[in-house]
Amino acid sequence: MESSVKRLDSDAEVPPEAFDDYIVDLDFHVNPLEDELLEYVDDERAYDKLTTEFGATPVMGKWDAAYGIKEGQEGLFTQGRAKYAEDVEEACEPLAIDEPIVNPGINNLNLQHHPVLKNAVCQAANDYMLDHFADEGMYTSMMIPKWDPDYAVAEIERVANENNIVAAYSWFDPKVPWGNERFDQVFEALVENDMPLLLHGSLAYWPQHSYIGDDMLTWTEVLGFDWPIHAMVTVVNMIMRGVFDKYPDLDVVIQEGGHWWVPFLRYRMDEFYEMHPEDVQITPRKMESGDRYLEKAPSEYLRENIYLCTQPFALPRNAGDAENLLDLSMAEDMFIYSSDWPHQTLDPATWFYTSRAFDDNTREQILNGNATEILDI
Amino acid sequence: MVDTDNFTKVAEVGDIPEGEGEGYDVNGIEIAVFNTGDDYYAISNRCSHQRAPLCKAGDEKINAEDTWTGERGGLNAEACTVSCPWHLWEWDLETGEHEASGQRIGTFDCVVDGDDILVRI
Repeated sequence: MESSVKRLDSDAEVPPEAFDDYIVDLDFHVNPLEDELLEYVDDERAYDKLTTEFGATPVMGKWDAAYGIKEGQEGLFTQGRAKYAEDVEEACEPLAIDEPIVNPGINNLNLQHHPVLKNAVCQAANDYMLDHFADEGMYTSMMIPKWDPDYAVAEIERVANENNIVAAYSWFDPKVPWGNERFDQVFEALVENDMPLLLHGSLAYWPQHSYIGDDMLTWTEVLGFDWPIHAMVTVVNMIMRGVFDKYPDLDVVIQEGGHWWVPFLRYRMDEFYEMHPEDVQITPRKMESGDRYLEKAPSEYLRENIYLCTQPFALPRNAGDAENLLDLSMAEDMFIYSSDWPHQTLDPATWFYTSRAFDDNTREQILNGNATEILDI
Repeated sequence: MVDTDNFTKVAEVGDIPEGEGEGYDVNGIEIAVFNTGDDYYAISNRCSHQRAPLCKAGDEKINAEDTWTGERGGLNAEACTVSCPWHLWEWDLETGEHEASGQRIGTFDCVVDGDDILVRI
């Protein structure tokens, strides 16, 4: 028999079926060069201080993911470094990503010390993104400071109405959780502008110099579990403190905080709340409204207001197990595909085509349905 | 003298630069062939983790000049391994083993016969 040999197509890195689907990627990181980013800082005094020898983000995280990664810190740029829209287009093509939602990815900004300088970086990042991405026709997440809700609102009012700005990007972390009432003005501005709040993991890990923090020595513990713990705390805090009763139209997306914990939260929140709900009435928003209970079972807010980016998916190998887990996790209503390009946990959309766990509707909802429902695209 | 029965020609010497790999479909089976300088090695083209194409290992990154390593994974000729372009899973080219997980992917006999690079599937 004659052998058939052909050189492989080098332009496709994911299964061919992926190119037939419409894929929205809700977590695509852009990494401007610092010099180019800081040119956008408006305030001369802030610019002067941000351009010292220490750089714009001098505070390093206590843990260094580099210990766990073969190429050290290169984990942040495992795939490359996108600075401009054409770089993003080049990266998306072989991965069959149709609609990357780009963000400026300065995830160690939250960890820095000086709020005024951090705000200046935030302003510069948003203007850089407007110039190089939104104005180039690419959907963009603007960055909002968690540390300064007043400034977050000012940035939303300044930037949100620009073309192609479709979401606000901030962070969950071990600091004040988003259920705190100080963030109400941010929620109001987001709802008013019809923008979801994307909360990404930040480099502000587990409270540093604590017993547990000091004994987390591996990347698996820190990035694999520290972030999901804070993500869960954030979600439960927002639900139980009545954020979504006050802002029923607010959509919140957790990015890189895990997703398979949904069944745990779903059943445990309902069980605990239904057993002992009498403290809800003395949370600040309920004190103000006079309501005694939440308007719905806690798990219903998960389904209606919370979305989870899927990267890294970590799908069970057994398709039956995976299908059950997707169902228990309300994936059809909650999961949104994300690649996390260019980081070390990159997740090309392979799972959806190599596992029999996905029916057509679930696949479509994760790859584009849930994203297009909450984004104005 | 190489016994080339049951081998299939996939490339010619010079087609695969030293330190790099190329991907081929041989009778419907995807393989990646790497040139370590001393030898050629053929291994399944798909990483068992997430089916990344191993033939892309060592490709230059986008804006490589602004990254540290410049390449996505790559061939380590001295260790006779290739690291996956997506998540850097390191595969032994002789055994097909990923040491950390104990998983294995297929490896294939690969010989040079004159100017031809042949593999046995």
